[in-house]
Amino acid sequence: MGFGDQLAQYVISGLTTGAVYALVALGFCLIYNATRVVNFAQGDFLSLGGLMAYSLLIGAGLPMALAFPLAIVAVALVGALLERMAIRPARSRQVMVLIFITIAASILMRGIFKHLWGKQALALPPLSPETPLRLLGATFTPQNLWVLAITLVAIVALIWFFNRTLTGKAMRATAINSSAAALMGIDAHRMTMYSFALAGALGALAGVLITPITSLSYNVGVIIGLKGFAAAVLGGYGSFLGAVVGGLVLGLIESLTAGLISSVYKDAVAFVVLLLVLFLRPGGLLGVKGGNRV
Amino acid sequence: MSALLTIKGLSVRFGGVQALSAMDMEAPAGAITALIGPNGAGKTTAINCVSGVVAPDAGRVSFDGQEVLGLAGHKLACLGLTRTFQNLQVFGLMNALENVMVGMHAASRGGFAAAMLRLPLLRREEKAIRERAEEMLSFFGLEKLAHQPAEELAYGDQKRLELARALAGRPRLMLLDEPVAGLNAAETHEIGGLIVKIKEQGIGVVLVEHDMGLVMHVSDQVAVLSGGVLIAQGTPEEIQQDPEVLRTYLGGGEEFGLVA
Amino acid sequence: MSAQGKKFFGYLAALAAVLALLPLVVTNPYYLNVLNVVALNVLVVTGLNLLIGYAGQISLGHAAFFGLGAYISGILSGSYGWEPWTALLAAAVVVAVVALIIGLPTLRLEGNYLVMATLGFNLIVSVLMVQLDDITGGPSGYTGIPSLSFFGAPIASDISFYWLAWGAVLVGLILARNLVHSRVGRGLKALHEAPLAAAASGVPIEAYKVKVFIISAVYASVAGSLYAHYYGIITPATFDIFKSVELVTMCIVGGMGSLWGGLFGAALLTPMPQLLAVVEEYKDIFFGGILLVLLIFLPQGLVGWLEGKRVRPGGRAF
Ligand SMILES: Nc1ncnc2c1ncn2[C@@H]1O[C@H](COP(=O)(O)OP(=O)(O)OP(=O)(O)O)[C@@H](O)[C@H]1O
Ligand SMILES: [Mg+2]
Repeated sequence: MGFGDQLAQYVISGLTTGAVYALVALGFCLIYNATRVVNFAQGDFLSLGGLMAYSLLIGAGLPMALAFPLAIVAVALVGALLERMAIRPARSRQVMVLIFITIAASILMRGIFKHLWGKQALALPPLSPETPLRLLGATFTPQNLWVLAITLVAIVALIWFFNRTLTGKAMRATAINSSAAALMGIDAHRMTMYSFALAGALGALAGVLITPITSLSYNVGVIIGLKGFAAAVLGGYGSFLGAVVGGLVLGLIESLTAGLISSVYKDAVAFVVLLLVLFLRPGGLLGVKGGNRV
Repeated sequence: MSALLTIKGLSVRFGGVQALSAMDMEAPAGAITALIGPNGAGKTTAINCVSGVVAPDAGRVSFDGQEVLGLAGHKLACLGLTRTFQNLQVFGLMNALENVMVGMHAASRGGFAAAMLRLPLLRREEKAIRERAEEMLSFFGLEKLAHQPAEELAYGDQKRLELARALAGRPRLMLLDEPVAGLNAAETHEIGGLIVKIKEQGIGVVLVEHDMGLVMHVSDQVAVLSGGVLIAQGTPEEIQQDPEVLRTYLGGGEEFGLVA
Repeated sequence: MSAQGKKFFGYLAALAAVLALLPLVVTNPYYLNVLNVVALNVLVVTGLNLLIGYAGQISLGHAAFFGLGAYISGILSGSYGWEPWTALLAAAVVVAVVALIIGLPTLRLEGNYLVMATLGFNLIVSVLMVQLDDITGGPSGYTGIPSLSFFGAPIASDISFYWLAWGAVLVGLILARNLVHSRVGRGLKALHEAPLAAAASGVPIEAYKVKVFIISAVYASVAGSLYAHYYGIITPATFDIFKSVELVTMCIVGGMGSLWGGLFGAALLTPMPQLLAVVEEYKDIFFGGILLVLLIFLPQGLVGWLEGKRVRPGGRAF
């Protein structure tokens, strides 16, 4: 295999993980825009998506076409529940406290997952049989294609939702100015809950897509979740387009360093790049100059 | 009287709104210069530019002969330029005394190391800060509220607290953004008197205000902004007769205090 | 002395008395060891509290500063034969510089960026501790760190370290208290509550945030160095992001913006994993659940609650 082939290979696998980071990053953005909170349970949505899909598929014997969407809906409900049971009743609205509520929720959720699904690694089958495909000298699996295609569909659906539906527009209005939106009769709590639900769904989708490639366990979402956060910051925190670009860039950088330099520094490199971008271009890759100054 | 604060050609644009267009203004030391104009005229924006909160698109601001645009906000306080805010900005959880003590920040020096080690220098300074803050509280009639958290104070007291904080560091010029907005006539009168006393200490005051009774009563100079453009500047008497100003305020004559 | 000062030093004297008497009761080395770990956590949390509770900035990277303090001091004395106290100081200086490099660009920005930068930094440090195994000993850890000594007498036993660690806590608390009740401390609180007004009063916001970040990192570094010389062996897993989360949690559960809060938070949460070991596999569920309930219903922290501090519904976090 020549260097060019290798490169194509790294690019494809980088885009695949990058797409998953993008989905997670979008989840971060949704909740951030609605509440200014960094939701540290976002990675656990991903784990739960994979785990639910596993149980519905292997445990309950449902067909894939049913098991995967059901898993996504279930995690969306968990997201809504998180908002309803932990964020909304919080006696302090300070962002710092709310962020730590999501961290506590993350610890709790991981504890529950470990109890229900055990510590061992599970395996979620890919969406279609693993006959390798070849393109430009790179070998890849249909799962790579599935991840990219479904991520694209999800992004288009999100764009449609926020621009064309009343609920989507109401959510945007709340994100921009919740008190003004409330004056227009929009229930801000409800919109925030929808944001959490949607973030849950995106996380679960990421989980269903990525776990056949990585592996599945109760805590698979922790590191992927942090990378998703990194992707969101990399792109310019809060921007949807930024989240997608940030995710893809991060995935590519990781895969290229792992392939061309060394895989042991793979995780570190992602964050080194992130720190560099924060230092040199604080608004993110797509962000405006300078970020938010005091 | 030479000007302490000079604003030249100040322009600010927020998206589609031209908040200020080539505004010129001067404020001398030891005098009250009022800056008036209808809602949205750009008064707060002008103050924000001078105090380093908003970066203008064009223009120059000099304070005591020194260019101050682009200086970090805290440097201005060190030069002797302080301000109050139209939307209250008290330190809610800190008590009234501490709020005013923060106002002494620019006028004191002890840094991190001195503070942690509680060096003698720092203890002396701390005593001076506290005494000055107490003096300020009584000047504004807040001495009984010294140990109340600022966020629990009545609205009018929070307004006074902002004035006390801005005055504490012995500035040379104070920018007051609507210090009596929302206060009743008696309180307005009282604060008007205090502002005159501040001026009598030789401190320059730029007074942004909608209360024309107060403005015409206490000001030495009045500048009028409308739609971001400075349309007149002169003594209160001149302004009350300026045809352009009258047009701007047409229909609001009574409120403006022009009709007896 | 002000009334506040009297109260603080009253409590401090009470704490010192309890600490002086405790070894008479607690002689079991296991419990002494727990007390020693509590002390180190209190030290880190005290510094962290200055950053979080007063300046309103979140760091999720303090375990990395703690770890750098441990590794630098450990390696300098273990591999290069430095005098342990000198190594501890050197580590503190390096950590201060690192904190400056991280804080300078990120503290100008909105608070979430510091969260991300510190988190990323911690992950990088964790990877380096594992990967640079020639220097650090890799995943199994670095061993052979000499003890600190006091006029030639090694501080190796649990009880001698007890005096050292809690002595450090008392000093750390006094320094932090002095800072909080000073011109600078007021500036920090002010920039958290109303940054525009703070700047207009002459508080150099960015510089203060960076400086308090450095100070909090140095607290963590010193605690880390003490830890390394106490145990003699250090492993990367001790300094991962979960430790950072734990430290911040101690700060919040105890009560942000109250120095005693850090003490309570650390004293309560440090032995929690051992205490919850009885419920074995439900450990995380209990821990997460308790934390969640505390954060939802007692956001002012335990000390805040005891003092009858009101919950601020709104307010700025950053
Ligand atoms: N940060 C901002 N972003 C966008 N537009 C702004 C901003 N600040 C002010 N403006 C706009 O600039 C114009 C001038 O506002 P400014 O607050 O200076 O008016 P003002 O004279 O102080 O009014 P008021 O008497 O109501 O306080 C207004 O149209 C306002 O909406
Ligand atoms: Mg205004």
